[in-house]
Amino acid sequence: MMTYIVFILSVIFVVSFVGFSSKPSPIYGGLVLIVSGGVGCGIIMNFGGSFLGLMVFLIYLGGMLVVFGYTTAMATEQYPEVWVSNTTVMGVFLLGLLMEVMLVLYVLKSEEVGVVFEFSGVGDWAIYDTGDSGVFSEEIMGVAALYSYGAWVVIVTGWSLLVGVLVILEVTRGD
Amino acid sequence: MNPLIFTTILMTVLLGTMIVMMSSHWLMIWIGFEMNLLAIIPILMKKYNPRTMEASTKYFLTQATASMLLMMAIIINLMHSGQWTITKVFNPTASIIMTSALAMKLGLTPFHFWVPEVTQGISLTSGLILLTWQKLAPMSILYQISPSINLNILLTMAVLSILVGGWGGLNQTQLRKIMAYSSIAHMGWMTAVLVYSPTLTMLNMLIYIMMTLTMFMLFIQSSSTTTLSLSHTWNKTPLTTTLILITLLSMGGLPPLSGFMPKWMIIQELTKNSSIILPTLMAIMALLNLYFYMRLTYSTSLTMFPSTNNMKMKWQFETKQITLLPPLIVMSSLLLPLTPMLSILD
Repeated sequence: MMTYIVFILSVIFVVSFVGFSSKPSPIYGGLVLIVSGGVGCGIIMNFGGSFLGLMVFLIYLGGMLVVFGYTTAMATEQYPEVWVSNTTVMGVFLLGLLMEVMLVLYVLKSEEVGVVFEFSGVGDWAIYDTGDSGVFSEEIMGVAALYSYGAWVVIVTGWSLLVGVLVILEVTRGD
Repeated sequence: MNPLIFTTILMTVLLGTMIVMMSSHWLMIWIGFEMNLLAIIPILMKKYNPRTMEASTKYFLTQATASMLLMMAIIINLMHSGQWTITKVFNPTASIIMTSALAMKLGLTPFHFWVPEVTQGISLTSGLILLTWQKLAPMSILYQISPSINLNILLTMAVLSILVGGWGGLNQTQLRKIMAYSSIAHMGWMTAVLVYSPTLTMLNMLIYIMMTLTMFMLFIQSSSTTTLSLSHTWNKTPLTTTLILITLLSMGGLPPLSGFMPKWMIIQELTKNSSIILPTLMAIMALLNLYFYMRLTYSTSLTMFPSTNNMKMKWQFETKQITLLPPLIVMSSLLLPLTPMLSILD
């Protein structure tokens, strides 16, 4: 099973995406987002990116999703929609599940998936051995490079976040 | 809106387009598009009525979908070439998806359905920004990837856009929808010549922006959003009726005016590349555009449209003074003799 762990985790990932795309109430959407975030972290970790997986848990699940959960809990209705309560939601969920099952069977039959482009496995993050102070991993060096060579990206993304907050406040203000 | 916040958001729209036009890394281009989209939403929603909110939501949904498609094309390109520079798109699949995404952002057929509805729901000034400034960023990316674009897809979308822009505008009396369909048709002309000579695309963009700016400012000055209210300009400011006539004829592409220059150059470039049926079809379909511009001039400048008697004796309030209007009118009608200067654009 361990050789197919990435495949199994990707299937669970897609199924949980189907779970919230079929639009139950946002509370249940947040629930499957937790599952998909955890599973996505597992996928990244299997490629050697331990730092980025930790970032997913800490920032995405522990920061953004918590705030989302609190705001949705404040704005929720008395009987929120589950997947089985509404025919449309259940239909979309089952349709998504069916397509995922067919895709899994297609992948298991032929060794690779060639629908739009070929996808037959990806490489790991490269691990460098510079010789001075041991082994460096590329993904965490990328995060460090963001703050040195990629200072412009930091400025742009920081400004986008500030303007995002201003825009949201402006849009929800009404008059 | 608080003036400081409004200035910040407007500067962010400018910054987003500048980032798109100046970046060489695909991710920065995508970030620029998203910044542009995020910051223009409150500008579209300046008045808080259900129409503007619906128009902003439609704009946001279509542009976000286009950004997602663009990101997918960027990742496919990365997978097949291993680098993020935008000089060449290495995979035909990525190129097709990218072209579709940029066509969605521009409003080319078959992704044109949002343009009239969004333009109609927002105020005249926001519609001005939407139809002129927002076209700069996707067009600059199309210019940069033009060697790798699939010709069949782009030409199909261009010809269909000219047809839809002409045909769809025929039944309209609302001025903002007329300008939206005119924008769809002009985008079709611009993308038709993109693969053959991107310089002419930029020339067409420049002249289209000048003419659309002029038209919108003339509408803003008389505060008119329907053909009926535009037909009362002879009573408010009689000079603008003549100027509306000249600018509309220039938009239709009639010869001694500057709107003829891009059409002439595009048809010449297309026939130099041995395609004769295509420019003939395009020129014939531009007649549809000319028809509804002529209908506007008929009701505005050439005849006194029927109205009640108290509409014929309007009280003279203070007219809005738009400083940029006279130079724009001159530029959008008298630039044709400068055509030999095109050689500096190469």
